[in-house]
Amino acid sequence: MTDVMMAIAILLPLVAGLIIFAVRNYFLRSVIVVATALTLIVNSILTLKHGPFTYTPTGFDWGLLITILDYAILLFYIYLGVTLRNRLVLIFSFTQLIPLLYFEFIMKAHADVQPAFVVDHLAIVMTLVISIIGSLICIYALRYMYDHEQHAHVEKSRQSRFLLWLVLFLGAMNGLVFANNLLWLYFFWEVTTMCCFLLIAHDKTPLAIGNAARALWMNCIGGTAFVLAMVFLYAKHGGDALSVQAIIGGGIQGSLFLLAVALLCFTGCTKAAQMPFQSWLLGAMVAPTPVSALLHSSTMVKAGVYLVLRLAPAFAGTYLSTAITIVGAFTFFATSALAISQTTGKRVLAYSTIANLGLIIACAGINTPLSIAAAILLIIFHAISKGLLFLCAGTIEHQIWSREIEDMEGLAAKAPLTTLITVVGMLSMFLPPFGMLLGKWIAIEAAYRVPLAAVLFILASTLTIVFWTKWLGRLLQVLPKLGLPFEKLSPSYSVPLLTLVLGIFVVGIGIAPIYQNFIAAATSNVISGNQVLAAGWANIALTGTSVKAVLGYFPVWLLFVVFALGVVLPFLFVKLKPTELRPIYICGEQSGGLEGDSYLAEADTKTKIILGGYYFEDSLGEKALNPWFNTLAIILFVIMIGCGVILK
Amino acid sequence: MKELIIVILTLVIAPIIGGLLFGIDRRITARLQGRYGPPILQPFYDILKLLGKERIAVSRLQFVWVYSYLVFMIASLLCLVLQSDVLVLVFLLGFAGVSLVLGGFSTKSPYSHFGANRELLQIMAYEPVLLLFAVGIYAQNGTFLISEIFNQSKPLLFNLWPLFIAVLYILTIKMRKSPFDISTSHHAHQEVVKGVITEFSGPYYAMYQLAEWYELVLVLGIVALFWTNPLWVGILIALAAFLLELVIDNVAARMTAGWMVRLSWTVGLLLGIINIAYIYFTKGV
Repeated sequence: MTDVMMAIAILLPLVAGLIIFAVRNYFLRSVIVVATALTLIVNSILTLKHGPFTYTPTGFDWGLLITILDYAILLFYIYLGVTLRNRLVLIFSFTQLIPLLYFEFIMKAHADVQPAFVVDHLAIVMTLVISIIGSLICIYALRYMYDHEQHAHVEKSRQSRFLLWLVLFLGAMNGLVFANNLLWLYFFWEVTTMCCFLLIAHDKTPLAIGNAARALWMNCIGGTAFVLAMVFLYAKHGGDALSVQAIIGGGIQGSLFLLAVALLCFTGCTKAAQMPFQSWLLGAMVAPTPVSALLHSSTMVKAGVYLVLRLAPAFAGTYLSTAITIVGAFTFFATSALAISQTTGKRVLAYSTIANLGLIIACAGINTPLSIAAAILLIIFHAISKGLLFLCAGTIEHQIWSREIEDMEGLAAKAPLTTLITVVGMLSMFLPPFGMLLGKWIAIEAAYRVPLAAVLFILASTLTIVFWTKWLGRLLQVLPKLGLPFEKLSPSYSVPLLTLVLGIFVVGIGIAPIYQNFIAAATSNVISGNQVLAAGWANIALTGTSVKAVLGYFPVWLLFVVFALGVVLPFLFVKLKPTELRPIYICGEQSGGLEGDSYLAEADTKTKIILGGYYFEDSLGEKALNPWFNTLAIILFVIMIGCGVILK
Repeated sequence: MKELIIVILTLVIAPIIGGLLFGIDRRITARLQGRYGPPILQPFYDILKLLGKERIAVSRLQFVWVYSYLVFMIASLLCLVLQSDVLVLVFLLGFAGVSLVLGGFSTKSPYSHFGANRELLQIMAYEPVLLLFAVGIYAQNGTFLISEIFNQSKPLLFNLWPLFIAVLYILTIKMRKSPFDISTSHHAHQEVVKGVITEFSGPYYAMYQLAEWYELVLVLGIVALFWTNPLWVGILIALAAFLLELVIDNVAARMTAGWMVRLSWTVGLLLGIINIAYIYFTKGV
């Protein structure tokens, strides 16, 4: 049973991806993608039902295969560095390759880690997020890429290639969250980096290739830190230390151990695009929107926060833990401020993602049962809401053919259904009763242990309100007229969109039972380190994270009742009669009747009213803030690695 | 059952108190300006008249956001009277604030947009101080529950007086008084017509007024939390703060939005941070 589940989770996406690559028919390809998506979803739910387990594949030298593939990927990077003439890609591929060669041929590293995979409750949460949300995005991509190529008048369709990397990504992510053997984790880590490069570069424009190369070299810095961490661990503690469970188990002590953990956390931060590495994720916005949706919601960046969260017990109670909190909280604050000045919708979404990842990393750093619970909740809620918002951004783009917020002015009157879904997605990012706010609420409760983090959280959540509300305001600006009927969307768009909207409400309203049955166990698994293996799955004590302790004494569903009374019911029942409509007030200088949006200026010249959002480019723009923020962020990382050297 | 009675009483009594305070506000302000002023009950007459007006509309969505403003304001006040979590209170108040901004944005009216943008800056100015106030309560009591404030014999004011000053500062913003009547103003010192509420009219303007009454009771209630044992001292402090705001309103000129945000993000935050840091280092976690 478990071997079938593992095979489906990790290998099926590869096999299906190759078949999709071979099939050149739109309809047949769609059938295979949908079938794969459904299989992955069902498989992840079966994994949840089965509960945690460990697994080591047998009958084949998988370790050797993975080692060979590791080198294949690195040689591919070097090839890219040469053909793209990108020095940074070359440099950081070699910084990865050389220590790896040293590690395997000079040190003759030999690790026979048992078990190779540990599927605990956290891994199950992650695989649910990856399989369900990732699959929905793949379904969305079917139609999106078709429209995308129609609009760009592409001569030779490259959709099947695109879908190959998209589906393969899901398998690599599943492998990453299941892996216990550090070498295998590293392999899956590199596969995601590679898929990420190929997907960002998909459109083959110079900008796309340049940004993809940036994503590659920045993630190669992380990969280098990963290899160095493995070298340090092996040099000091031998092959047994190359296991995630051994690292978090508390059995290993020593001068290089904490440094290795710090390096691994640094790797996680690069993948989670923490400042100053934010630019790769922002650059990734040039890719077709399903890529952004996938990178931001269920894969790639979530791998980064997963690694930090997973390692939480290894740095509990050290200065490193506090340093990680500050690194995350600072990114949360800084990127929330930068998001205000952004005029492109997808860049606002990107900054908001980086901000929330910072919050999750900070929660892992605070390292109490409460904060770990907040981190896991945030991972889930963020995946749903941000997945939805990117899909909305894509749908809007294919209606107005623009990504600029100012071009979305009055979208409520042009595309009411898309706007409605987008508004729900945006509200769910920062307001009660929705999950993201719940996560922030718990995070602030937990943050008093590190008061600086609490203050940064507060400032950041205020800035969050500003940039979302600003954008919402642009969408909702309408002229006095009766509403239009909902527009028609292709099922490839509407099914994923509506499923995610449903997800926001179901997970939000049912958070108490979901927490109790499923996230509490994940929290305990994270906190307790590898006692799971020693004590057996059933014997892990719930570490003081009852529903009440986490969700407070205030039933969350009550907040949804308030939301229904205040927003949903008025939305459904307030109807206008044509006779009630009036023109807007312009001091009596109205021109053009009811729907006129112009006024009589000097000498009675008819002048169109032009409104725009505030962006505060001078005070909050990237030019003004980035030098300060990037410098501070680099200093914080140096301190973080430094804390790895100082033992508590 | 007891809670249900409290809820119903709040729904009924809070607007009466709020309306009366608004009437007193208009009367005192008039006297300070050498006018006679309207009767104390004038706000009630106004709202009854508005409710009887024919409904006219510039945007359907605007009506939705007015409802949401009122409902979330009431929910936030209920959080206070039911002595629930102070963070939930602040978040619900945040939703109310966002609703008003979106109400202003839901039309293509330039005045309304000016007002909405400025209202958003007001949120930016007061939200962090309110959240710091919540963390200050946590630092002092070890919980965010308002009921715990009532269990403590020592009033919050003794240890949280810097935060008290910061809260007074945001009270001015919340009451839309000079120097911070930036998005819209009670009295006629406003160059952007009626700011964020320019396009609100008739029964929906009445609903907005009602929400403002609830809000006044809510923010004065927050001030009263600084002295809960005995509660009447806290209420007196709140009333004194209310009168103080009226005086400030009449002696101060309106400032720019940027100035408000900067002052709040420097002085306001500093007061809060110093306060919390002091408690953190003296009391520990």
